[in-house]
Amino acid sequence: MKNSLFKSTAVLVSLLFLLQIQPAPAQAQSSTTTTMHTNNWAVLVCTSRFWFNYRHMANTLSLYRTVKRLGIPDERIILMLADDMACNARNNHPAQVFNNENHMLNLYGDNVEVDYRGYEVTTENFFRVLMGRHETAVPRSKRLLSDEGSHILLYMTGHGGDEFLKFQDSEELQSHDLADAVKQMKEKRRFKELLIMVDTCQAATLFSQLHSPGVLAIGSSKKGENSYSHHLDSDVGVSVVDRFTYYTLAFFERLNIYDNASLNSLFTSYNPNYLMSTAYYRTDLYQQKLEEVPVTNFFGSVMETIHTDSAYSVFPIKNSRTNNIKISKEQSVDVSDVKQQSAEPSNTVQPGKCPYTNAWNLAIMAITMKDNCIYYIQSHDVES
Amino acid sequence: MGLWKWTWASILLRLILIYFPHNLLNLSSRPELSTPLTSLRRLAEGYWLKQSSMSPYAGSMYHGSPILLSLLGPLTVIRIEGLPPQILCSLVFVIADFATAMLIRAIGRNLKVACSRKFNSLNLGKVVDNPDFLPAGDIAALVYLWNPFTIFTCVGSSTSPIENFLILLTLYGACKRLPPLAAFGWVISSHVALYPAILIIPVIFLLGYGPDSPPRKLFLEKNLTKTGDDILLKQSAKPTYFSWKSVVLFVLWASIFASCVLFLCGLYVKEYGGIHEMIQRTYGFMLTVEDLSPNIGVLWYFFAEVFDFFRYFFLIVFHVNILFMLLPLAIRLNHRPCFLAFVYIAISSILKSYPSVGDSALYLGLLSLFVNELADMQFSFFLFSGYVGVSLLSPVMHNLWIWRGTGNANFYFATAMAYACFQIVLVVESVNAILNHDRKIRKLCTTTT
Amino acid sequence: MALILRILLILLTLCLATTHELNKEEFHEELLLKPLSDRKILSHFHFRHTLPDVTHSHHSLFPKAVFQLVQKFRVRELELSFTQGRWNYERWGGYDPLSSSNAKPPGVELWAIFDVPQHEVDASWKNLTHTLSGLFCASINFLESSTEYSAPEWGSQQSSGKLRYGALPREAVCTENLTPWLKLLPCRDKAGLAALMDRPSIYRGYYHSQRLHLTSSEFGAVGSTTGIVLDQTLTLVLQPDKETGSMYSGSSIYQPNWSMSSLFGREVGGKCVLAESSTVFVLLEGGLVSTLKNTWREKEGHEADNIVVENSWSNPNFELSIPPNKVIEEVTTLHKNPSILYEYSVEDSEASKPFDLEFRWKNPVAWSSPKAPLSASRFLTGSGNERGAIAISLESSGRKDEKPQSLGDFVEKMRVSPSEDKVSPGVMEMILRLPCAVNSAALTIDFDKGFLHIDEYPPDANQGFDIPSAIVSFPDFQTKIDFLVGNSSKKSPMISKLQESRNIQSYTEVLLVPLTTPDFSMPYNVITITCTVFALYFGSLLNALRRRVAEEERHQREIAAKKTVRFPLLFKLLAMLRGQTWEQPPSQSSTSTSLINTKIVIKVIIVAGIAAGWQYYYG
Repeated sequence: MKNSLFKSTAVLVSLLFLLQIQPAPAQAQSSTTTTMHTNNWAVLVCTSRFWFNYRHMANTLSLYRTVKRLGIPDERIILMLADDMACNARNNHPAQVFNNENHMLNLYGDNVEVDYRGYEVTTENFFRVLMGRHETAVPRSKRLLSDEGSHILLYMTGHGGDEFLKFQDSEELQSHDLADAVKQMKEKRRFKELLIMVDTCQAATLFSQLHSPGVLAIGSSKKGENSYSHHLDSDVGVSVVDRFTYYTLAFFERLNIYDNASLNSLFTSYNPNYLMSTAYYRTDLYQQKLEEVPVTNFFGSVMETIHTDSAYSVFPIKNSRTNNIKISKEQSVDVSDVKQQSAEPSNTVQPGKCPYTNAWNLAIMAITMKDNCIYYIQSHDVES
Repeated sequence: MGLWKWTWASILLRLILIYFPHNLLNLSSRPELSTPLTSLRRLAEGYWLKQSSMSPYAGSMYHGSPILLSLLGPLTVIRIEGLPPQILCSLVFVIADFATAMLIRAIGRNLKVACSRKFNSLNLGKVVDNPDFLPAGDIAALVYLWNPFTIFTCVGSSTSPIENFLILLTLYGACKRLPPLAAFGWVISSHVALYPAILIIPVIFLLGYGPDSPPRKLFLEKNLTKTGDDILLKQSAKPTYFSWKSVVLFVLWASIFASCVLFLCGLYVKEYGGIHEMIQRTYGFMLTVEDLSPNIGVLWYFFAEVFDFFRYFFLIVFHVNILFMLLPLAIRLNHRPCFLAFVYIAISSILKSYPSVGDSALYLGLLSLFVNELADMQFSFFLFSGYVGVSLLSPVMHNLWIWRGTGNANFYFATAMAYACFQIVLVVESVNAILNHDRKIRKLCTTTT
Repeated sequence: MALILRILLILLTLCLATTHELNKEEFHEELLLKPLSDRKILSHFHFRHTLPDVTHSHHSLFPKAVFQLVQKFRVRELELSFTQGRWNYERWGGYDPLSSSNAKPPGVELWAIFDVPQHEVDASWKNLTHTLSGLFCASINFLESSTEYSAPEWGSQQSSGKLRYGALPREAVCTENLTPWLKLLPCRDKAGLAALMDRPSIYRGYYHSQRLHLTSSEFGAVGSTTGIVLDQTLTLVLQPDKETGSMYSGSSIYQPNWSMSSLFGREVGGKCVLAESSTVFVLLEGGLVSTLKNTWREKEGHEADNIVVENSWSNPNFELSIPPNKVIEEVTTLHKNPSILYEYSVEDSEASKPFDLEFRWKNPVAWSSPKAPLSASRFLTGSGNERGAIAISLESSGRKDEKPQSLGDFVEKMRVSPSEDKVSPGVMEMILRLPCAVNSAALTIDFDKGFLHIDEYPPDANQGFDIPSAIVSFPDFQTKIDFLVGNSSKKSPMISKLQESRNIQSYTEVLLVPLTTPDFSMPYNVITITCTVFALYFGSLLNALRRRVAEEERHQREIAAKKTVRFPLLFKLLAMLRGQTWEQPPSQSSTSTSLINTKIVIKVIIVAGIAAGWQYYYG
């Protein structure tokens, strides 16, 4: 077993060398066209500090929950939250964050993994994550370890303006910076496709400088427009969600298993009358037709699966029993979590009206479970 | 005699103020008076650290010279019953102030003697013997003693009076053509405050050419026009020749003193990282503007706000700004080394990293040595009002910002900017006036011949 | 040499202890519940992993993340705590083993002792903070900067300079920190006692401290069998719901009734199958027991001493819904009241028959907890933003029964490492020896407030900066609760922890120091204005030096003549500004215009030549 593994790695290494020998430009071209979609990553950023910006954290956590529900594992989500709302002294629902005044769904469930929080959410760290330029000591869980086959969802929310987004009320992320970072990512082959989703005032202006291929961008409002919050929760005391994010979530909750929903249907689902702003999307850098791209390309997860004919035994017989028990436990646990959490965030759509939602979630969960399992084994292999 | 009456009066005033220090707005902690380099409080802290066998430079408190520490340190811990703490240090500062004033007076007299000799040689003796020609030395000494800046600096326990005294010792030694004294003053003052190192240029001129005089070209012309006429006159115009001997002596003495100082310092800080550590903690601290606490200069706020990657660029630019002006000034004012020294001191006190009003007191005192030459200086009333206005507004803005929290750093910084502008105008106008004065003498010369 | 010997000795004893009793991996889970005198309930979870022999490459229970951490950074001992709220030393006790080992300062506190050469300690610490920050979803990596940690020497630990201590007082503590902590348990929070941890009820509490303590003797003497002990504790102070106490709610003297389900909103559905033992304790402290005895004696006239122990779970004062498996009484000296421990094993309960202990009061009682010999509090003095002082006041709580110490309130020993600006924090360690009669002592330390570069302020700079808690420990006052345990072979970790003799220790308040801020909005203005002033200085002075007044006058006259006085007023104004009297220029024309033109042409050519050369060489 070990021998064959060694051989295959040797082959892989030699292939890598061969690839290195090829001239760079040809390689770059091929990478955009031929590389497989291998995995999904999500970078979710809430840039606002202070209690009255509760809704930005709720936005981010809603997206976090959605992508997690659709199968992106925590290891592949970089969550940046600029302040602590859940255990904030002003929160009279400790350890809970809601995005709806009906309080049916606690976004801050038992399994939130925040990678950057509080003062760590700076433009510097944001760029470090995107470009992968970290100090050596930074642990893997805080890095975006994507490759040239990755689809990345980058979601940002906060306060912004014409061509900038404020970080923590003290720094600014400018559209040029963002475009440069994306360009560097492309050059370092850190993504295949990138969807940038921004919920802030004048969000469209943030995309004006982008010029790297494979980038898709959607913002909550055009230049000169504000983005508004959806509703106020008088129990929490502040607005709990922004309109754009609210209707994005509504779209995902309405999906059922037979809709092979495309990005186009997501993009056209935004009604300017409900949003009170015009959702703007930029597609000129993206080669494929939006009608043909399923939303799960960015919001769901694809994982590398390895087919083996024989059983792949990792642990010696002595220990395998307990480990199997552990894994099966985790799985059952996760499914129950999903059951608990799959309540509706929207007011309009009642839980009874979507009979397929739960089934669909479970189906996706089943796939990811399998992937998780493999991932678990792989990671064990690497670490031991 | 009026001079002495006023001198004693000023010393009495200082003593009274020292005796009631708590009535006086907590002067020892005013940012205008004591900078991180000159604060006696920090010196006491450094001495305490030294006594508890730690490096005096540990804890970013003390940044001054080990020599000052070993001289003043023991005085800071002596307490006398019924008297305010650190009374001995304050007495030392009063004595230093008095001595400085006396040195200024002596320099003034020296300048006057030299001046009248030169003018006589140019047949312009009547200008000096005029009753309108003021006794500049006495005036300057009194101005120095009665300048509120000096008084507050002396009472506010900062080591500036000692630095000022050392600088004037240098100038006095050079005026009197005493190379050892000049070298001693120069080495110690440079060691203590670094910036007086640039005074080497006026000191060399003073030693080489003698005290201030009208431009040397005039004497040459005079000599040319009167060739053979008057041998005696020619003899008296001799100092136009550069006397290398005293300069060489000065350099010799300076190197001896410098090595002594280095040796003593090395001995003092041997256990705490050695001389390298000392240089880093004193001169490094001055040159890199590490402390960003507010003072009356402009650099603290600039370096608190400037982007980090430009920091070193601007550090170099600002320090080179001082050095850049040295040469043009030396070329243009080489016949007036004392005035040149005044301009250098003024410039460095504008641009230095931690300025205090003690530095201003020094150059204002030196400025009044040239009352006769600068009689028709422009903007003098404007400048006077400016100084008064800034010195009243600045503490108010500081109080609003730091203590009451109602103001903003920008208001305080604005007063610092205004102060810098006034000082710049003062320097530029005084240089202008002295050059005009030279032109006037030349005109007089040409008309008299 | 003596030092090394001593360390070796300690190591050897540790090794002996570990080899003696352990040769397989073990996991224990325990919960201690204790009514507090101010109508709150202390619940203290204790989970202990022991890994006996690290030479084994496989271990099924011990969390791999922690094992790798110990291996990689060669951690001898480590403690990490996440705390929310402040321990109330007055009411919740300051003189018992629970408070002195589990009361922690707010925010994150981390200390670690490394087993690496002295010069690698800082690097190890830096990497450790990063790893922990990834592991526990917290900004512990801020502790890597040298301004945030220190190396105290006189702590309770034997460290020989390899201890590093850091605290982040403002770090938020929330679910995301608890979840990874729970993931280290073999059953996570799905089974066993950890299943009680319902996040909203936990974080609703008054005090919440989640702790991870790690001791490894792995890198000890050569070849000896060694191990790692991982203690995870969660200390909560909860207020029971008012509704459950409604039976007696008419009078406020009644302590509230509580049950595990009312406290946590969940029940224990059986033990974690991987745990060696799963135990719940209820502790009644000495003060309470003596009060109970007194009331009982008054009511029934019984000789109370033996009754308390026998059948005491349902007595006239209170009632426990389930009879305990064991009642353990403290072994005490004469004048101290023994505390009582009721022990329950959760092993019998299952999902259909969950374990839910209920505690009902029948009589009103009031008692007070033992306090530390001196209560320490720390505060800021002074106003304004230029300077201030930290004051620490030590107040006696009226305990004067201990033997008198040596006279004179003076500092016995003091160690100061002064703070370097932006490099290292200031640390002052002092050993004070105060006479017993002292009622209060105060200590003030003056400080100057610094001014930082605008990038060095946090985003909410106006809130101020936190100074971590000071630690006050009383080496002469030790605390422990000795219990009479029957079979000592299978000792519970909780009981052995309580039986350990510890110094009394307490933390002072965190201080919030407001600092003056510069204006964050206008760096560009400051830079441009300052540079303008410098340009003004340089330009005007150079201009003054360069000037040839006589030539200028002549030149001006020429120009004026050429322009034939088109704007006399303007010229007059200009002249006035220049401080000269303006005179009507003489009408004769000049001849030097052509000369000037050639001059200009030459200048232009020279400049162009230099530029071309520059371009040629460097372009």
